[in-house]
Amino acid sequence: MSSNEIKKATGFHWLRPGYLALVLGAVVVILLPLLFTSRYTTNLLILCASWGIATLGLVVVLGYTGQISLAQAAFYGLGAYAVALGTTRWGVDWWLALILGLAAAVLAGAVLGSTTLKLGGHYLAMVTICFQIIYTLINTNWIAVTGGPDGISNIKRPPFFVPLNSAQKYAWFALGALLLVAGLVWWLRDTALGRAMRAIRENELAAEALGVDTRRVKVIAFILSAVIAALGGAIYASGYLYISPDSFNFDHAVAFLAMVLVGGSESALGAILGATLLTFLPEWLRDLKRIYLVIYGCAIILVIVFMPEGLWGYVKLIGRRFARTAVLPSARGTLRVGGRGMAGEEILRVEGLVKHFGGVKAVDGVDFSVRRGEVHALIGPNGSGKTTIINLLSGLYVPSAGRIRFLGRDIVGLRPSRIAHAGMARSFQNLRLFRELSMWENVLVGAQREVGSEADTQERAVAAIEFVGASDKAHEICRNLPYGHQKLVELARALAGEPDLLLLDEPGAGLNQTEKQELVRLLKRLNDMGLTILIVEHDMSLVSSVASVATVLNFGKKIAEGTVDEVLRHHGVVEAYLGNREVALGV
Amino acid sequence: MFEVRDVHVAYGAVTALRGISLEVREGEIVCLLGANGAGKSTTLRTVSGLLHPLRGEVLLDGRPIHRLSAEAIAKQGISHVPEGRHVFPGLTVRENLVLGTSNQSNVRRDEMEADIARMFKLFPDLERLKHALGWTLSGGQQQMLAIARGLMARPQILLMDEPSLGLAPILVQEVFRVIKEINIGGTTILLVEQNATMALAISHRGYVMETGRIVLQGPARDLLQNPQVRDAYLGGGKPA
Repeated sequence: MSSNEIKKATGFHWLRPGYLALVLGAVVVILLPLLFTSRYTTNLLILCASWGIATLGLVVVLGYTGQISLAQAAFYGLGAYAVALGTTRWGVDWWLALILGLAAAVLAGAVLGSTTLKLGGHYLAMVTICFQIIYTLINTNWIAVTGGPDGISNIKRPPFFVPLNSAQKYAWFALGALLLVAGLVWWLRDTALGRAMRAIRENELAAEALGVDTRRVKVIAFILSAVIAALGGAIYASGYLYISPDSFNFDHAVAFLAMVLVGGSESALGAILGATLLTFLPEWLRDLKRIYLVIYGCAIILVIVFMPEGLWGYVKLIGRRFARTAVLPSARGTLRVGGRGMAGEEILRVEGLVKHFGGVKAVDGVDFSVRRGEVHALIGPNGSGKTTIINLLSGLYVPSAGRIRFLGRDIVGLRPSRIAHAGMARSFQNLRLFRELSMWENVLVGAQREVGSEADTQERAVAAIEFVGASDKAHEICRNLPYGHQKLVELARALAGEPDLLLLDEPGAGLNQTEKQELVRLLKRLNDMGLTILIVEHDMSLVSSVASVATVLNFGKKIAEGTVDEVLRHHGVVEAYLGNREVALGV
Repeated sequence: MFEVRDVHVAYGAVTALRGISLEVREGEIVCLLGANGAGKSTTLRTVSGLLHPLRGEVLLDGRPIHRLSAEAIAKQGISHVPEGRHVFPGLTVRENLVLGTSNQSNVRRDEMEADIARMFKLFPDLERLKHALGWTLSGGQQQMLAIARGLMARPQILLMDEPSLGLAPILVQEVFRVIKEINIGGTTILLVEQNATMALAISHRGYVMETGRIVLQGPARDLLQNPQVRDAYLGGGKPA
């Protein structure tokens, strides 16, 4: 497929609403300072632009990556103070001061970002609040450097081709910066990085297992969000020419959060909408004197209760009714799975594998090996350790003891994303889809690699979706797909990475007998293409139609191995696992 | 005993049930067959009051119950064992069982203990694990616990959603044996199962659903022989 066709297929087109919005935005940026010329409104425009930029940072970290941050005002302050101190006390150029501020934000963002690696949810919220409060304390009390509560005045404005010596010119500059950042944040959403972020928000474990380095991506998200906020802060400082710690305290961090939630956290436009509304609303309500804060608060609560996806999310919901669904083109290449190598060579070797959970030995000294080109079944009673082994192989658990060699490499201790890149893909017993993303985006996350072009990624994704026969539903949000299709998405997502070895954890569960036969055909086709499969499955008629070899576990130990026919006649296997052999095999 | 009459159900804009009618008589096991997304689980959820119909009615002994809350319906003696078990992970096996009696007010302690003892007799594994926390149980044990918890409600009617999902063959046989035993003990059962062969083998009657409608019904024995059913749900092949 030509890159042009891919563009059409994925909706990249200059008439896409996003591009139109950018052009429209540029017009608005030019018009606004011409229409509102009073000093009061011009100042509000500048304030709105700088707050809007800080809010866009939250789109990246909260909207895309799903990590809560209540420290956005601190990063905003870093940029503001860098410019303020730089142009007044240190006497450096505005742009150099800005770069220093952004560098400080990178550092602070990296520090805060690394705390997210172990924390989530309310713990993460607490850490970011503490970070914000510590920042405010330093700001207020380290008078020698920051000027303390008195703040800093006489801040300079940057030259930008012409001296920005009037509020109107500066408003153009600030709104231009807002538009630029909004464009970047909007563009980021559909890049490989943006998809990785959204995959983390939807299901971090699945993202890691598909090869997304979740630690790196989360830290990058925090750094980006910090840098964007710092830019907003710098623009604010030079707009008002005076700053004090009050503008960068916890209240403002909460306000930024409110802006992004009210506007719609997953969209750049929503963030601007939210920032605009919450900048101007207090001004409009000023006449109401004492009760204006009550109304302001109620308005925010109402929006969040009735439009959980924010104002922009609501607009989009209406827009979706008129949207046309794009169709995937047919794939040019076919799916390449199975890797290169000799059929029959040993590609996976497990030796003395042990996993303890507290006192429970889930896996207790298991050895087996998988050869290239075979379909190897791992069977055994519930609780015998099969899923634990899959989790050990794919790196989600670290073994208590034992060795795992995959394609000649020792993979014990590698992160799941590294193991995925090494050529091992997996599916999950209870589906772990990125539910709010489309099937197409789900499969793209599986297809993307750290090196390699977007066109290659898209080509692999198209081939994988076509292989499982789900092209017609590719642009539907996964949450809305029926269960059978969701299972296909998981399979396509795993295949799009072109693995050597595919681990399947109960792929037949929840399918009826006819649907299972379709699954069998699919797996046989994959195996014919050279893919090696390790399958955990309870349906013995399914196992005996696809698998050639089997390893049987009970209480974490191997009790039998051999060809499927052999183990299904094994006395111990029948007793512990099959019960009535005829019933189990459906004969 | 209970009857579903021309029920329509939608999830937002998506219609799930398009006018289904079915009847379950006292003492029966009735199974619902159909492909994924046909509306089987939705039917169970509508009967147990987790969903409410747009149109149509659900009658229990002739009285309409489709406007009642799930809690109120549970108090009328309908117990739902959901797909995916939903065992309380942080509570022990015993505590899970005790919570199964929440639909009754003033449960007498000795009666409850007798019921728990009955469950331990039905599922010997659970007695050994009575102090284990829900999440430490294997899939099969969780399924047993979910069924036992449903029975603690002393239901007249038990709704079961894919009780054999994810179980080893020997446990699948065990679960179907237990279902039969519960039924012989006097409980009426409406069963949703993907394992159509085994479900029909223990059922009295069955309904086949397709995209929100009932397309076929009859005695289980007839459905087992029906070529359409064999093709669509039993993986084809000749009647046994």
